[in-house]
Amino acid sequence: MSNPIEVSGLVKTFGQFRALDELDLTVEAGEVHGFLGPNGAGKSTTIRVLLGLLRKDAGEVRMLGGDPWKDTADLHRRLAYVPGDVSLWPNLSGGEIIDLLLRMRGVTADPAKRTELLERFQLDPTKRGRAYSKGNRQKVALVAAFAAPVELLLLDEPTSGLDPLMEQVFNQCLGEHKAAGTSVLLSSHILSEVERLADRVTIIRAGQAVETGSLSELRHLKAAEGRLGDGATLEDLFLDAYRTDG
Amino acid sequence: MADSWTGGGRLVRLYGRRDRVLAPVWVLVLTAMCGASAVATADLYAGTSELADAAHLINQSPALVALYGPILDEHSLGEIAMSKTTVMYAMFVMLMTLVLVRRHTRAEEESGRFELLGATAVDRVTPTVAATAYAAGVVAVLGVLSAVADVAGGLPVRGSLLFGASWLGIGLVGVGIAVVACQLSASTRTCGALGLAAVATFYLVRAAGDVGPGWLSWLSPLGWGTRLRAWGDPRWWVLLLYPVTAAALVGLGWALHRRRDLGSGLVAARPGPAVAAPSLRGAASLGLRLQRTALVGWTVGTVVLGAVFGSIAPTLGDFFKSDAARAALRAFGGRGAVEDALLAALLHIAAYVVTAYGLSVVAAAGSEERDGRAAVVLATGSTRRSVFGATAGLVALGSVWLLLTTGLGMAIGFGLQTGDVADGVGRLLPAVAAYVPAVLLTGALGLAGFAWSARWAAAGWGLLFLFLTLGELGELLHLPDWAIGLSPFQHVPALPGGTVHAAPLVALSVLATTVGFGAWLRYRSRDID
Repeated sequence: MSNPIEVSGLVKTFGQFRALDELDLTVEAGEVHGFLGPNGAGKSTTIRVLLGLLRKDAGEVRMLGGDPWKDTADLHRRLAYVPGDVSLWPNLSGGEIIDLLLRMRGVTADPAKRTELLERFQLDPTKRGRAYSKGNRQKVALVAAFAAPVELLLLDEPTSGLDPLMEQVFNQCLGEHKAAGTSVLLSSHILSEVERLADRVTIIRAGQAVETGSLSELRHLKAAEGRLGDGATLEDLFLDAYRTDG
Repeated sequence: MADSWTGGGRLVRLYGRRDRVLAPVWVLVLTAMCGASAVATADLYAGTSELADAAHLINQSPALVALYGPILDEHSLGEIAMSKTTVMYAMFVMLMTLVLVRRHTRAEEESGRFELLGATAVDRVTPTVAATAYAAGVVAVLGVLSAVADVAGGLPVRGSLLFGASWLGIGLVGVGIAVVACQLSASTRTCGALGLAAVATFYLVRAAGDVGPGWLSWLSPLGWGTRLRAWGDPRWWVLLLYPVTAAALVGLGWALHRRRDLGSGLVAARPGPAVAAPSLRGAASLGLRLQRTALVGWTVGTVVLGAVFGSIAPTLGDFFKSDAARAALRAFGGRGAVEDALLAALLHIAAYVVTAYGLSVVAAAGSEERDGRAAVVLATGSTRRSVFGATAGLVALGSVWLLLTTGLGMAIGFGLQTGDVADGVGRLLPAVAAYVPAVLLTGALGLAGFAWSARWAAAGWGLLFLFLTLGELGELLHLPDWAIGLSPFQHVPALPGGTVHAAPLVALSVLATTVGFGAWLRYRSRDID
């Protein structure tokens, strides 16, 4: 079985700006893959290419065995996406938006599961889109993503605006989906979160993957190079990848 | 007051910067309308007796009086020339202020940007106070320019100044209405609808007063312009009514704002349903759901507009006996000289209005994409075909539907006057059908802007404005025929009454289809914002 996400040599330019510069990224089946990089490194651009929203300029992109640009809608029925800054329709209620997104993916949520998630995330589904705070808008998208079984989760800084309690609920939900065999691409700035959840990570810089592997692999690599000690945290690895002499 | 204004100057400059196209265009169009009205009428009437005849005949028609207001001094060139601008275009001045104020207050509040500004060294109400000052400033410029345009068009200076002052006044009242309306609901759209309803009510009260009990017209700011008698023996004190009313409304609006929370309205938001109706399941049903309220409003609006327009035509039975009357009819936008021609001319105006609906759908699709909601929809099983199809379908079907409701409204209005609704339907349905290709072509061009880039989704408004200018002012500005012919609306037969040539209609239909298909090809392969 092929990997859910296989990207090699991906290039995407906006005018003169080379947002993705021969990026390589592989997410293996059933793993949570941390996707790290500072603002503007190209994380969201990668995810938008994977979603078929942006057209690649060069390189190979395979997702769930298909071409995201050509088989867009068919692939989307098998994944769920949570953007980092969720914008909701001002006059639709949160409950309506959750149902709408699920139906548009072609799945029906188990009502019990939906209710359970609303309770766990402490989300009032009768509020209008305009009335939700940033964190609550994020929860609407998260409930829609977690409410049905799915093969692949594309999460672009999904916990931005969530409080620590809700972050914990998010971690639990992600763990449950992982246990059920869901593959996850998790783009995040919260290194502790990635360190706890991710099986492997890819660190990107200026549109290129600079490090990829499991945490222990990366640690051993850096220790062998003599750059970091054996007890290096993900934060140490991340900062090391961005040292100017690197 | 000093507190409420801290930082206000910077905000006013910000608003001006954001509106550097919108505000000047609106002001210049309204100014051009004043100049054009002045020139057109001065050219039309050689002697004062013809003038008096025409004015007398206008006063004899209750429908025209309801639409444009009465002519109090039948010997005044200025009053005849400016009767449309005194009432009808004064309403557009109010609508401009509504757009400007809402854009910088409630719309910013709903989007969350208000908060960003509100957290700087300004008072809670400063953005609203600054928006009031800014809109008042735009109106002041408009007042001066409209007076200048009148003078340039050959009208007396004193009357022109009074007229400009009345526009300034009505604009200030518009600002007051807008400031109050924007406090009432948390929804930008609802606030706009409330403001619009207030302006429409003032217009209707004035219409009722002008044809019935005169005191009613004193209750409506839109009736004061006529009663100022700017061109004859002016009642100066009427000019005081505007600032007093405006100050009361603005004071009320500021007080309401001071008392409420950020992001809330005076009318509490009702909770929504916890689960979605089974019908809400795809791009098309989502589009329809988002447009539902607007479509209902537009349907009612077009039927009423049609009925008012339709009821004018038959009351002109005696109107065509003199040359002066024919000339007067032309001055009111007529192309020919019979009631059919009047129907055709009014329908022509209504067609521009209906086109605006389609363009508003396209503009909304642009906001959906820029705000990131289109990406969320496209990340589900919805295809680009269904998302684009939903927008294109709403533009096309919505426009056709609204043309139909306009036509039916006119047929009913016409029929109620003549006693034969069926005859009205027979005259008007082919007439509205003839507008379908031109309206759809304009909609398709708007769609092409959106398909090119979400940032160009509002480009259709510019085109509609261009077509309107070419068609309505082209001859007056002595533009060449080919330039005027760029507007698709110029190729629609003047029905009822006119002759129909198939070729232009077929050409418009083919063009609309081609442009629409080209838009799809572009949308299919472009990056989504």
